Amino acid sequence: CGDYNKILKSNNVDQKYEAALKYFEKKDYYRAGVLLEEVRPLLAGRVEAEKAAFLYAYTQYYERLYATSSELFRNFFDTYGRSPFAEEGLFMHAKSLYYDSPDFNLDQTSTQTAIVAIQDFLNRYPESKYEEEATKMYDELAAKLERKAFENAKLYSQMRYYQAAVTAFSTFQREYPSSTFNEEAAYLKIVAQFNLAEESVPEKQRERYFDTVGFYQAFVDKYPNSKYLRSAEGLFDKSTKQLERLKAPTNTANVEQK
Amino acid sequence: QVNLNPSGTNTPLDYANPKRYQIGGITVSGAKYLDPNTLISITGLKIGDPITVPGEDLGKALNRLWDQGIIGDVEVYVTKIEGEKIYLDFFLTERPRLSRFVFNGVKKGQEDELTKKIDLIRGRVVTDALMNTTKNAVQKYYLEKGFMNAKVNIIPRPDSVLANSVVLNINVDRGDKVKIDDITFIGNEAIPDKKLRSKMKNTKEKKFYKVLTASKFQPSKFEDDKKAVIDYYNSQGYRDAEIISDSVYNTSEDRLGVQLRINEGQKYYFRNITWRGNYVYDGKQLASVLGIERGDAYSKERLEKRLQYDPAGGVDISSLYMDDGYLFFRVDPVEVAVEGDSIDIEMRIYEGAQARIKDVTISGNSKTSDHVVLRELYTVPGQKFSRTNLINSQREIAGLGYFDPEQIGMNPIPNEAEGTVDIKYSVVEKPNDQITLSGGWGGPYGLVGTVGLVLNNFSARKATDFRNWRPIPSGDGQRLALNIQANGLRYQSYSLSFTEPWLGGRRRNSFSVGVNKTISRSITGDNREQGAIVINGASISLGRRLRKPDNNFSLSHSLSYNQYITSGDFINYYQFGSSDPNATQASANSISFINTLSRSSLDQLTFPRRGSSLSLSLNVTPPYSRLSENFDKNKWIEFHKWMFDASWFTPLSAGGKFVLNTRAHFGFLNTFSDKRDVGPFERFKLGGSGMGVGNFIVGTEFVGLRGYEDQSVSPVDPKTGQNTGGIAFTKYVAEARFLVSPNPAATVFVLGFAEAGNNFASYRNYNPFKLYRSAGVGARIFMSAFGLLGFDYGIPFDTYPGSEKKGQFHFMIGQQIR
Repeated sequence: CGDYNKILKSNNVDQKYEAALKYFEKKDYYRAGVLLEEVRPLLAGRVEAEKAAFLYAYTQYYERLYATSSELFRNFFDTYGRSPFAEEGLFMHAKSLYYDSPDFNLDQTSTQTAIVAIQDFLNRYPESKYEEEATKMYDELAAKLERKAFENAKLYSQMRYYQAAVTAFSTFQREYPSSTFNEEAAYLKIVAQFNLAEESVPEKQRERYFDTVGFYQAFVDKYPNSKYLRSAEGLFDKSTKQLERLKAPTNTANVEQK
Repeated sequence: QVNLNPSGTNTPLDYANPKRYQIGGITVSGAKYLDPNTLISITGLKIGDPITVPGEDLGKALNRLWDQGIIGDVEVYVTKIEGEKIYLDFFLTERPRLSRFVFNGVKKGQEDELTKKIDLIRGRVVTDALMNTTKNAVQKYYLEKGFMNAKVNIIPRPDSVLANSVVLNINVDRGDKVKIDDITFIGNEAIPDKKLRSKMKNTKEKKFYKVLTASKFQPSKFEDDKKAVIDYYNSQGYRDAEIISDSVYNTSEDRLGVQLRINEGQKYYFRNITWRGNYVYDGKQLASVLGIERGDAYSKERLEKRLQYDPAGGVDISSLYMDDGYLFFRVDPVEVAVEGDSIDIEMRIYEGAQARIKDVTISGNSKTSDHVVLRELYTVPGQKFSRTNLINSQREIAGLGYFDPEQIGMNPIPNEAEGTVDIKYSVVEKPNDQITLSGGWGGPYGLVGTVGLVLNNFSARKATDFRNWRPIPSGDGQRLALNIQANGLRYQSYSLSFTEPWLGGRRRNSFSVGVNKTISRSITGDNREQGAIVINGASISLGRRLRKPDNNFSLSHSLSYNQYITSGDFINYYQFGSSDPNATQASANSISFINTLSRSSLDQLTFPRRGSSLSLSLNVTPPYSRLSENFDKNKWIEFHKWMFDASWFTPLSAGGKFVLNTRAHFGFLNTFSDKRDVGPFERFKLGGSGMGVGNFIVGTEFVGLRGYEDQSVSPVDPKTGQNTGGIAFTKYVAEARFLVSPNPAATVFVLGFAEAGNNFASYRNYNPFKLYRSAGVGARIFMSAFGLLGFDYGIPFDTYPGSEKKGQFHFMIGQQIR
């Protein structure tokens, strides 16, 4: 389709547009993208504008510029809500955001945006042929946020900031009650609480061992077959022994139950 | 607007009673260039759709058309109504569209900047309003730059290539830059003109000696400066001070005069300060923290500072509460009485409950992993909220060097019902990898080229997977440094080191490993190798911050091994590795264990103003001579070396621009036995900038002594006549520094110094008071990408044997420790 540079320099909108379509077909998304970007403003209000907008978004998507493509697909959907490609456009908007979402240990702003976009898509097109893929993306992104919260709580354990770890694990349990990390979080919370009690001043020890016992009881109720059960039980034993040693004048019922 | 076509139907639309119709047909009229079907699809309306008229559906359709920016005007008409069916017509006026725009009379470099400001979008219709806003934007741009008489003229011209399109020619005549001739004040009695002028930071008079000060007139900055003048009056007790009028007038074609008429008003003083609503602290405690006495000049600014946040540091009223979890604390100072020149204040306090931290999160870290930031923070979940911890955490984040220090945000989000607070930090990544390319004169080697690469936020974990390379694996806060120095065949040096700052992830225990290889050859004119020395080395080190005696101490240990292989002439030249005069190759080994205890309390690194840095280091090899007779002294290098460095910084002026730095340095080298001489390794050479090349071979310690030639203050071995270096040195420095530019991108300071030092070949001659003295001046520039660069000129006061007594220029790269 002729010399790319010559077309690029020309002022003929139609010729540029035709060339862009050909480059797109040949999967030369870079050149197609450059040409489409050039002609798009000049095509506004013409029949070709719709297709140009849609393909331009795809060129950016294939070039892995997901932040840009997500925005372009969204604009396409907002402008051409009646188009037969509207559904695909909205889905691709979500999918671009999905690919734009980084590792769990980096900023998750775009993950959250992607989750909202997928929800929006599924609400609008509950019967969509993309439903399965969208759900899968959704689950993956949700798991990423869970992992982030879990790993950050674990970091406090690792640094031996036990009080911080207990707080962070509790927050995690409350915010992600159905997470697959919950079992490990519950166990690590017992470990952190036990260590916190161990290094506490005598006045606070009793209360903190009690909490360890309480966390253990909640753990065995919820995960009776846990692989962490043995070691958790060990901490429970140690805690009860400590409590016996600390001998409170009243209210030891909690411990004697077990 | 919805218009009824008068000839269409005789059922008029009733605006009070919207009615539901079905769209029977949509037409577009008035379009010459635009495609009707596309326009209909943009409206979002379709034949057969239900529609309420009048109603918001039509409004939305019009808006969608507008949003395209391609039509001049649009109206919608109801052409006819047939029972339930309604027929609509969109009547539009087309206007030419913008195909491109051209600047005339604008500097090339400013075109991009201007393009951003004017917000012209190609393909949009050109209206008078658009041309006007563009013109204003361009004019404003030049006004801010001091071109008050800039003329802007926008001429639309039909585009010959594209139908219905125009090219905008934006013609600019900047005119002359207008400068301020004179700033005068009328009505100021208590505060002199000079003081007031100095408060106007961006509105300055043009004076021939003010080379660096811009004297352009910027209206927005002028407003700020007027406010600054009033703020200054307020801070001095003149609560009612105001600027009655200001005038800006032309004194000549390109000169302005500025006149401010001021009403100073009366000077007020604080009288009684009372506290209400305080339960945690009593009034006496609060008054002493506030630090404002009865009779002090009334200053709202000072009062606010002492109540809310005092950047000068120390405890203010808010920090008293906010460092103890009282996040919901509020204080409201109310003027309860103004009598004569005295003001009574009542502090109304709301203490609230203590808040504990729940969640700590970071956003904006698109490269650096969460844990790298989280582990630096003082704010951790479960703890009571503390404002000081919050501010210290911000400083720690800035200290990492991975983020833009100006854009570190802290946002505590309180939940008063739960008594908790979530803390959200926001950061913006900045590039922090350094590439150095340099060429320098390397003494005996001639020109030596250096290529260095330092990755300051490396991730070894991610390096195993190529998908994480973008373009290099980063984000785990590790450091990888690669350095290559070479001068053809004669000299090559390679080194690679890796540092993990938090070994094990538990504490700030830094761990590093490094390997290096150096080859030095002596080559004759006809390219024959006469001798060579190869050094292979490896080192491993562990450093940690101590908690005792205080947090500023750190301790590091490092174990290193070096193997020296000499051949040819170099065997005799270096005199180690072999005692056999006929050997063709010889080797020696050095195992050394370096221990450093240091303390640093410097307030910052580029231009320290206060604090000190002390370091004591011991470098020791196994004591072979004490262990056994069997160790060949030529093969097993033995020494113990002690170094002590101390440096103090004291601010000499209130603003901290003028700082005194005093330093003392000592070094001692010895063996473990009287029978064993101190070898050629690790000796000291004083003189010049202290930047030696060639120190790699025997680990010579180069110490600067300005005013004397490089390495000249160094005893000569009487037997061989070689400058082998001394085994004990002392050096004292007093340096006065003046900060010229605090800009973090290029910090510049100038200095004057006086220093003295000496270097001794034996302990018998050692005398810490027999010194070679000098004095001089110099300048330094710190650029974040290159590090510290500088030069000094020093004049010697004494003559070192064997060298001339004359002034010396010294250039230096990098921070000199000694």
